[in-house]
Amino acid sequence: MTKPLEGRVAVVTGAGQGVGRGIALALAGAGAAVVVAARRAETGEPVAAEIRARGVPAICIETDVANGDAVRAMVARTVAELGRLDVLVHNAIKAPSPHRVESVGIEQWEELSEVTVWGSLYCARAAYPHLKASGHGRLIMLTSPAGIEGSAGLPLYGPVKAAQRAMAKSLAREWGPDGITVNCIGPVAVTPALDKAFAENAELRGRIEARTPLRRLGDPERDIGGVAVFLASDAAGYVTGQTIICDGGSFTGL
Amino acid sequence: MLDGRVVLVTGGDRPLGAGLAKGLQEAGARVALVDGDLADRDGAVRAVAAAVAEVGRPHALVHAAIEPAGLEVMPLVDVDDARWWAVWEVTMRTSLWLCQAVHAHLTGNDGRVVFLTPTLSMSGAPGLAALAAAVEGQRLLAKSAARQWGADGITVNCVAPSPELLGLAAGEMALSAPALGRVGDPEADLGPIVAFLCSAGSRYLTGATLSADGGVWMAP
Repeated sequence: MTKPLEGRVAVVTGAGQGVGRGIALALAGAGAAVVVAARRAETGEPVAAEIRARGVPAICIETDVANGDAVRAMVARTVAELGRLDVLVHNAIKAPSPHRVESVGIEQWEELSEVTVWGSLYCARAAYPHLKASGHGRLIMLTSPAGIEGSAGLPLYGPVKAAQRAMAKSLAREWGPDGITVNCIGPVAVTPALDKAFAENAELRGRIEARTPLRRLGDPERDIGGVAVFLASDAAGYVTGQTIICDGGSFTGL
Repeated sequence: MLDGRVVLVTGGDRPLGAGLAKGLQEAGARVALVDGDLADRDGAVRAVAAAVAEVGRPHALVHAAIEPAGLEVMPLVDVDDARWWAVWEVTMRTSLWLCQAVHAHLTGNDGRVVFLTPTLSMSGAPGLAALAAAVEGQRLLAKSAARQWGADGITVNCVAPSPELLGLAAGEMALSAPALGRVGDPEADLGPIVAFLCSAGSRYLTGATLSADGGVWMAP
């Protein structure tokens, strides 16, 4: 049986670790050639090697998604080396630290805005002609329940993640005539960042699991990657402008 | 409804903000318009201070200014960095700095913040991705601030008018006709709704978005 993404080429930003790595592995498992776009080759190259070891073409391209020229160059190299671009997954984030609305400084805002929102703009703009040429172009952005219900601890994380959802809805309408779908995934999964938090707080994992209907944290490749593969595949060709929350059932606000 | 209450209003140079300012005055509020370079932190602080000098310590901020650059319909591939900045960064920075400039005045003062956030951010709007992103960013800043400032006795809510009120065509967003049959008037239709959110009676309502579009956008 042919795999659902056989012959397709996918880019995943922030694919050097965590959810991005899981999505890259899952897309490769579904047959797509994958570009591991990572800020540092030290983290991205091993993921590309892992995919190649599974017999699927993959390259790592060192990319700072907060730099428009770098994103354009990454997309150009993707098409030059792998022949096309069908799927772009913008997953990279700069992890925020706790702050208050009344006192947060411009630096924290810039870090969040640049990677998440400007990164989405750069990825969307650079990918568009190739997604259009693909005939089944897919733009997928990783958002968060915080982008729907806000956050008491990370207040500015809500706006930047919400902006991606509004972009997805707008571009779904704008690019629908080109056969491109634009969707978001809101994941909760075990990642290096979360593992670090668990190491610092022994009870945190149990607390999160206890309030999650499925009683476990997500697996980046199997759980989040599975949703990404679905959205990238022809099976989701009539789904656009949507957010799929993949968090074990905790957030039911959509 | 607003007797004895002081409200600061942005966007008074355009029909939405000007109409709301009049509507709030009719509801009994002392109103001052806030203007200046609000995307600059010091500029926002100065503009709020000038308004406070005029009318006294505010109970509420109504942020009705909408970046004019955002209203120009344009495919995303043609949106250059300067235009994205003028819509996304200016909108978000203005909202954040205004929140910071009024926080101390609103704390312990039965404080209210109301953002005017047209429904296009919830529906999505082709050719308006920058504005949609910015407005949805504002809506979530309001929710996050509502979560943090509840302890300060401050409510933060949004009122979502029709995009047609801003002169935008609603057809491309696949919106239905308003159930109430008209687009709405800033002063007569939106004024009383915003006045309620600035009043003492709305004290248990926070983090919400009220669609005030005559019955178009009914989700959720």
